[in-house]
Amino acid sequence: MSILTESVQALLQDSKAAKVLATVDKQGIPHLVSDNTITVNDEGQIIYLELIETSRSNVNLVNSIWFKRKVAIHLSKGEESFQIKGYPVYSVISGPVFEHYYKLALERNPEFDLSTVWIIEPDEITDDTYTARKNKERDEHPLITHLDRLAK
Amino acid sequence: MDKYKDVSPFVIIKSDVTRRSFIYTDRALGALDKSKHQYQQRVLIGSNGDENAAVPVSLLLRDGTSIIGMPSKTAKNPYVVDQIDGKLVLTDQGEIVEEVHYWYKPDYYDKFTSSGTPMWQVASSRPQRLEIDPNSHCHFWNKGNGCKFCNINANSAQSEKECNMSKQLTAQDVYETVKEALKQPGAFTNIKMSSGSILSGAEIFDDEVDMYIEMLQAAGDNFKDKKFPSTIVASAFSEKQLARLYENTGLMTYTSDIEIPNEALFAWICKGKHKEVGYAEWKRRIIRAVDIFGAGNVSSGIVGGCEMAQPHGFTNEDDALKAVLEEAEDFASQGVSIVHCVWVPMHGSAFHNQQNPSLEYYVRLAKGLSDLRKKYRLNVDMDNYRKCGNHPDSDLDRGNLE
Repeated sequence: MSILTESVQALLQDSKAAKVLATVDKQGIPHLVSDNTITVNDEGQIIYLELIETSRSNVNLVNSIWFKRKVAIHLSKGEESFQIKGYPVYSVISGPVFEHYYKLALERNPEFDLSTVWIIEPDEITDDTYTARKNKERDEHPLITHLDRLAK
Repeated sequence: MDKYKDVSPFVIIKSDVTRRSFIYTDRALGALDKSKHQYQQRVLIGSNGDENAAVPVSLLLRDGTSIIGMPSKTAKNPYVVDQIDGKLVLTDQGEIVEEVHYWYKPDYYDKFTSSGTPMWQVASSRPQRLEIDPNSHCHFWNKGNGCKFCNINANSAQSEKECNMSKQLTAQDVYETVKEALKQPGAFTNIKMSSGSILSGAEIFDDEVDMYIEMLQAAGDNFKDKKFPSTIVASAFSEKQLARLYENTGLMTYTSDIEIPNEALFAWICKGKHKEVGYAEWKRRIIRAVDIFGAGNVSSGIVGGCEMAQPHGFTNEDDALKAVLEEAEDFASQGVSIVHCVWVPMHGSAFHNQQNPSLEYYVRLAKGLSDLRKKYRLNVDMDNYRKCGNHPDSDLDRGNLE
């Protein structure tokens, strides 16, 4: 069962939401791609469509699935903001699932030549709004704040 | 795996499964859906299967790595493909090792050409490659000089007898099958052709070159441009033959296998090739192909581990690996990628009773060959994980792209 709530899944399915995928290379150097086509499948797994076989993201994802390294997805729209971390679990390069998304990519843009359907299993999710993050910090680290905030 | 933390565990699993072979449980075979999965295949080397038993032609791992192989009933310590909790898995001594998938069947597979030939007998399908082997008879075997690791003629003779599968394809069948295959969006990224060696012609291999020209032109008639992503795995052609092939077809890349990268062992194991062409000349021709196709667009396959076949092969794995990688570096420094398959002492080959090397040998070999490509900045797009899928070393390259 997926850890993604219904509201997060709805946001993942919203093409107007901002979605950013973060990966790291072998040396730990981060790499970001912004892609609002990132979505979710019926199993609550995140789908990222890689269009460039030799891209830095794709190579980093390959190393992530090989060596069990997490990737991160930032998701936001309006007042909502989430960060999801998870593991790439499938690199789909052929078969019915691949061909489904290949056709979908072609419909979006006839120039798109899909390389890989990445399926990412979410492992943790955090509310990434300022309010949620600040409240968490106040609870766990009450000594970290400016005194003027506490003045009468 | 703990010792080689920087090597893909999927590639290690692939190497070991190929090395030790595998079998299916009845549950796993029950998961084969003949309407969705491939269970019939035309291959040059190995086995085209048993017409009475529907067995998946190969396996795919979660990361897109292929395991090319057929189950062996005589393997001494095989992996077992089972179905557990609704998923197909590889197991070793009862422990789940990794999830696997059967290869899907492309749309053209169950169709027929206008001559009535089943299209699956014209073109096999790997996960992203169309495989067309227009001639599955090798002339080197005619005088008993076939390569000792190979079973091409035994396999094709059996398939002709039992399945009425022709050893030779027609250009029209090739044209029609490629045309049909291209109707399936996203299914293929490459066309590969291969054949047993044809020695006849004014110059040795002239007739083989003519055959490839005819077949590549037939396949090429389906494309807008003259050149299309394609390769052949062929005999070592002369510069004149290579130029003729390049100029008259859409061919973009070329492979000729050196098989055993050691002259003395090549002379013993590939006796026919050594007698008719010779190791040094076979190698020279492969390297000269770079002048035509460009660096990185020429590769040469080796039967990894066969250099330890007895009684003349290396007896020490370190010595064998050193010799192989030194020769591979000589190729790489001149623009040729060396790629390896895992030597399987196959039924029908002269070496069927031999023992292949350790898993560690194959891990070091794969890493060594991949590292050489990195050192000499050779990309292996022509023979990468999603095209051939039979080379653990080129599987590793996808994690090393700069």
